[in-house]
Amino acid sequence: MVVETQFLPFVEWFPLGLLHWVLVAGAVAAVALVLSYLVTAVRHGPVAAAKIIARVLTGVLGDLGQISPRRVFALTRLAVKESIRRRVMVAFALFIVVLLFAGWFLDPGSTHPARLYLSFVLTSTSYLVLALALFLSALSLPADVRSRTLHTVVTKPVRPSEIVLGRILGFTVIGTVLLVVMCAVSYVFVVRGLTHTHEISQVELDKAVDGWGEQVRAGVSKAPLQLRTTKVHRHRHDVYLDTGKSEKKEPAGESQREGSVRTEMEQGHWHDFSYNIAFASPGAEGDTEAKSKIDYQVGPPRGMLIARVPMYGKLRFKDRTGKDAEKGINVGDEWTYRTYLEGGTLAAAIWTFEGVTEEKFPEGLPLEMTLGVFRTYKGDTDKKDIPGIPGSLSVRNPETGLMVEAKIFTAKEFATDVQFIPRTLQGKGTRGEKLDLFKDLVADGKVEIWLRCLAPAQYYGVAQADLYFRARDASFPLNFIKGYLGIWLQMVLVIGFGVMFSTFLSGPVAMVATAGTLLGGFFSTFMARLGAGETYGGGPVESLIRLLTQENLVSDMEPGLRTTVAQMTDSVLQVGLYAMSKVLPNFGQFSFADYVAYGFNVPTNLLLVRGFTTLGFLTAVFVAGYFFLKTREVAK
Amino acid sequence: MQANVTIETRNLTKVYRDFWGRQKVRALKALDLEVRQGEIFGLLGPNGSGKTTTIKLLLGLLFPTSGQALVFGRDASEVTKNERIGYLPEESYLYRFLNAEETLDFYGRLFKMPASVRRQRTAELIKMLGLEWAKRRQLKEYSKGMTRRIGLAQALINDPELILLDEPTTGLDPIGTREMKDLILKLRDQGKTILMCSHLLADVQDICDRVGILYQGELKELGRVDRLLKVRDVTEIRASGLSEEAQKEVEEVIRRHGELVSIGNPTTTLEDLFLKIIRESEAHPGRRVRGTQES
Repeated sequence: MVVETQFLPFVEWFPLGLLHWVLVAGAVAAVALVLSYLVTAVRHGPVAAAKIIARVLTGVLGDLGQISPRRVFALTRLAVKESIRRRVMVAFALFIVVLLFAGWFLDPGSTHPARLYLSFVLTSTSYLVLALALFLSALSLPADVRSRTLHTVVTKPVRPSEIVLGRILGFTVIGTVLLVVMCAVSYVFVVRGLTHTHEISQVELDKAVDGWGEQVRAGVSKAPLQLRTTKVHRHRHDVYLDTGKSEKKEPAGESQREGSVRTEMEQGHWHDFSYNIAFASPGAEGDTEAKSKIDYQVGPPRGMLIARVPMYGKLRFKDRTGKDAEKGINVGDEWTYRTYLEGGTLAAAIWTFEGVTEEKFPEGLPLEMTLGVFRTYKGDTDKKDIPGIPGSLSVRNPETGLMVEAKIFTAKEFATDVQFIPRTLQGKGTRGEKLDLFKDLVADGKVEIWLRCLAPAQYYGVAQADLYFRARDASFPLNFIKGYLGIWLQMVLVIGFGVMFSTFLSGPVAMVATAGTLLGGFFSTFMARLGAGETYGGGPVESLIRLLTQENLVSDMEPGLRTTVAQMTDSVLQVGLYAMSKVLPNFGQFSFADYVAYGFNVPTNLLLVRGFTTLGFLTAVFVAGYFFLKTREVAK
Repeated sequence: MQANVTIETRNLTKVYRDFWGRQKVRALKALDLEVRQGEIFGLLGPNGSGKTTTIKLLLGLLFPTSGQALVFGRDASEVTKNERIGYLPEESYLYRFLNAEETLDFYGRLFKMPASVRRQRTAELIKMLGLEWAKRRQLKEYSKGMTRRIGLAQALINDPELILLDEPTTGLDPIGTREMKDLILKLRDQGKTILMCSHLLADVQDICDRVGILYQGELKELGRVDRLLKVRDVTEIRASGLSEEAQKEVEEVIRRHGELVSIGNPTTTLEDLFLKIIRESEAHPGRRVRGTQES
């Protein structure tokens, strides 16, 4: 998962976001005002048009300032009742059916079952709720206009602003209720779908425990007792009952031992394994009947549904000669998100972390990394114990320059590697003095982690978010709710746009317009790049010509009338596209599904930013919707 | 605008245009009209004459192409005037998924009235319009007459000063029609101003104080009903208990001084006859008329 975008703290973002909102909303309002004046001037003449526009604007301010909560509440209740009577709960029934069928097809034995389950429930909920929001919001008001029920409402002292607000709130209420129920059902579905336990076959138990028991009885047990669970959900776990401690503490001839360990990690989870072993009493010589007995219990899967809170550092690079570099090297990938370190050289990726304190990490630094691996040769496949490309992690004090090599590891392409840098590290030199992580290597909360690739002519691909400290784990249920909060924000936006379009368009057209906004919003980043001319192949018309004539994207088009006309048209269209990309909400950014599915905590900062962005869009569509309803003839 | 004038239109014109702004229909042409406080004013005219357009312009549902529509001295597009207005549309355009109580409660909430008053008005109107037995049924189960009644109830929920009724008797049976007319008269007696439009001339004649006749968007006649209907060159004498000799004597006198148009027993209206039969049937259930009794 890519969490590369660094979000400004909310307090820093807010003034910038507000300024952006004011500029964009102001520009849209100015364009709308000029167009309205021109249309009115054509109909009524320039002077009368100015008077009409002035009167409308005065009315707008008055109407917006006199919104009655009582009437808005009445209209909200009406929208809720309308939704219920229109069998909106069918969507929930559909959701249940989808879950029932999904139970057959989702494979809990896949490599990342939690990711699969979470992605599924979040995506299916999102599709259903957004479709529902689209239908409800875009069709309701036009249906009222068509059936003329709106006539009996607008002839009461109801302002257009109250009608628009009542609809938005009403559909939001019904959507929220539906989403809350879906969230609860999804949570149960995920937990129940993933939960499982394992057993250990009796044959293996007898064999292993008896052998181990003899060692314990003899007081010579050194190797841990290795057990292997049965296969459930297409995986099994190894369990090691360590004897290292007991060797010192427990005398030969002990009769019983109990304890609790973790199973080995498989498919991103482990189980708690508690056991109680009653060793056979050392009977007379040749007593072969005596058998040890073990009672054990395997707990539910753990570490599967998590919400990691990462602490990210700032990334810089050293080149192959050890000099500072802006970035690593490009190995030819078109996608330049990651930049590469050459193995067997001084090239390094250096993350500088701030705020690393003993209070936060009393045991040491839990570190997780997901690296790209680029091989120029296959490597020594005979070395089965080293399946990846070797690398090293070093810890460096940014002030004193003291550096310690903390870990040697092997990296596989995009596999999440979990490392732990302990409090005490072995220093360099013959004396090899022991160093304390916080006293010797952290300066004012700052510490550097150096990553190097050790295999010559092999490469590591890194980006800033690829390596982080796992500061703590947040509550997974709360993170799950945050994931649904993202869907809620998307739903509210769709409702807002749907209601706004429905104030002046017929139902089907409003629905298409809202769906177009939704689709455009998902591609608004691409649209901005297209508008700014940052894409290969030119603008829309030039691209179309290239597509039809199968011309290369990067070569210049042949000069001529066709090219001139296409590029001139594109330059106009690109302005429109760029403007559109600034006006449309980037719906994809409101989804937190990846955070939840990949086990990362959704930052509160991000929630606040997205929440206020939604509020900004809602305010704009509300005012636009009010304006459209105010200036249209309801009875036409 | 005079103090006792509730509605005033000045040169009110409405042109319907198509999507491209081209003129389709000139629905109303320079209408000048005044409706005074406390009167029942009827707008008469055939279909497409501009009656409903006038009402919609007065309600702000349409915008005038030119001219002005004033209600209580304010522009018709002002929302605040609606506090004092009740409107019964041609068809009762109501939310069919609500029941009668919910409908009136919803419309009541749109006005500034305390909850207790809203509940009281809802109960009163449901009782007054005889819908108590069906107040919990969704409107989609209502007959057309019942829908008209609940439509009228929503128009009266705010105890309005001005009531605009678009074809108020459409879809009602004779009893419902009479009840509606009685109710309109009662509302007038309470001091309310009523503007109704209809093409059912008998209804308008029965209850309206003044009428305006529209044809093709133009006001063709305006005045008090009794004045407009008066046939000035014909004298009507009504008497009861005259013997045949006395009748002949009266005929003789009339012939001496003018031309006798007709003389005989007057006929009642079909509406009155129908209502009389219904009332008698309710008083004496089971009485039937045989087909052979006709003479």
